[in-house]
Amino acid sequence: MAGAVIAFLVYALAVSMATNANFGWGTVRQYMTDPSILRGLQLTLELTAAAMVIGVALGVLLAVMRLSPNPLVAGSAWVYIWFFRGTPVLVQILFWNYIGALYPHISIGIPLGPQFTQVNVQALITPFIAGTLALGLNEGAYMAEIVRAGILSVDEGQTEAAQALGMRRLLTMRRIVLPQAMRVIIPPTGNETISMLKTSSLVAFIALGDLLYSAQVIYARTYQTIQLLIVASLWYLICTTVLSIGQYFIERHYARGTRGRQKAMQDFWLNMTDLKPFAGFRR
Amino acid sequence: MFRRSAGLLLAVAALALVVVGIAGASSANSTSKLKKQPKIAKMVPAKIRSKGTLVVASDATYAPMELIAKDGHTVIGVDADLAKDLGIVMGLKLKVENASFDGIIPGLKAGKYDIGMSSFTDTKARQKVVDFVTYFSAGTSFYEKASGGPAVKGLASLCGKSVAVENGTTEQTDANGQNKKCKNAGKPGVTVKAYPDQNAANLAISSGREQIGMADSPVAAYIVKQSHGQFKLVGKSYGTAPYGIALPKKNGMAKPMLAAVKYLMKQGSYLKVLKKWGVQKGAISNPKINGATS
Repeated sequence: MAGAVIAFLVYALAVSMATNANFGWGTVRQYMTDPSILRGLQLTLELTAAAMVIGVALGVLLAVMRLSPNPLVAGSAWVYIWFFRGTPVLVQILFWNYIGALYPHISIGIPLGPQFTQVNVQALITPFIAGTLALGLNEGAYMAEIVRAGILSVDEGQTEAAQALGMRRLLTMRRIVLPQAMRVIIPPTGNETISMLKTSSLVAFIALGDLLYSAQVIYARTYQTIQLLIVASLWYLICTTVLSIGQYFIERHYARGTRGRQKAMQDFWLNMTDLKPFAGFRR
Repeated sequence: MFRRSAGLLLAVAALALVVVGIAGASSANSTSKLKKQPKIAKMVPAKIRSKGTLVVASDATYAPMELIAKDGHTVIGVDADLAKDLGIVMGLKLKVENASFDGIIPGLKAGKYDIGMSSFTDTKARQKVVDFVTYFSAGTSFYEKASGGPAVKGLASLCGKSVAVENGTTEQTDANGQNKKCKNAGKPGVTVKAYPDQNAANLAISSGREQIGMADSPVAAYIVKQSHGQFKLVGKSYGTAPYGIALPKKNGMAKPMLAAVKYLMKQGSYLKVLKKWGVQKGAISNPKINGATS
């Protein structure tokens, strides 16, 4: 009964969207493959990839630092996480973009002593670098907590066994703990990547030519705001779908050697095909 | 002696009468309260009159035409003051709301806003989407950081430079057009960066992110004046064109709005508002419906 109601509502919605002339599906189709939209899409993907690479690497580093017995190391990691989670991403993007107002030149040398080289900040930190830095450093703070949760999820017995075998802390972390922590880290990381894809649209505020900015520039010219936003949204949806499929395969890889995957697959197909009578077959 | 003092008395009385007469006449022009004009109010279509309060959309990052007051949310400026006066004349309440510039014309089309008063240049391209009643005249000026900025004479000097504009403005269109011209002439193009509002564009220039800013002349002049030496005007203004009050196409408001604008110009409030904000140079005397020149 519920299924029938839902099916009807979906059908009604689809018909309404298809026949409502205000949607301008012709315009949407026209701009889906527009060169400036595709260029914007490419930049969005580059930004997402770069920010996630920085974020994950930084996240692992910070998580390991936070679990360090050295209070200075653990403390500085905590301060970093506190600061970068405590300010809005948009503010961070604006800050990195306009850092030229604070530090017009960066020189490398001894503080209050001789300077070796000087760099023009404006040329060094382009809008793309500013966006990547802001998104990446912010993501690092969130990833740190995800990685820490993953590390904590690994049974303490593993670490004890490794120590009994004479392995040092970092070797234990690298060879024993982190690989097992991956099963817990991957799903939320996939979530973060998909989220980053959309959060990257904030760089439109610093006039960086991503997917949303490209759509904005077009509708400023043609006044077809809704149609261009639909184009951008469809591209975000397509990319999110592709990433979700990718996440499934990565999770499958890290679930090797566990029964969980096989059972999950079994249950999935049983439910789909209603072959409950055969449920006991494999076991 | 009586005759002489009588004559003196008469002269003083006459003078007094003349002075009172002059004072009375001038106050009738500049300080008489603005009142609803029934003939103009009748021109407003009943459907719109029944709304009571009309929403006027304005992107309040364009001082002195529209800006946010010190209280942090009230829109003030030339357009806000004119909107209030126009409302009184037409017997309507006009509420000025802050909106994103590139969303105002689509918002008028979609019925989200009733009137758009945000220093819109009346252009033929925009007239395809909305109707305009012209009420002001302005050109485009260039401005940049007070020191270290490139030499700019006009649009042609923009080749190879970076320009900050607000998204949806005619300045954006002009800069993009110049980019094409530069490329066709074999010169490096113009890097046009469109920011969500004028404040963001100004920040981009003051922080050195972009080299040159383009905005309507009264606005550029105001930015330079208020920046206390941070910015300076460069090059020559160009493209003097009429501003228009944007109205949804053919909804019956164009004629009453035009009549109201003409009334304000005749009655003196129009010039008073312009003088208050120092933009009287842009005053016009022949408002019309859809008066685009380009």
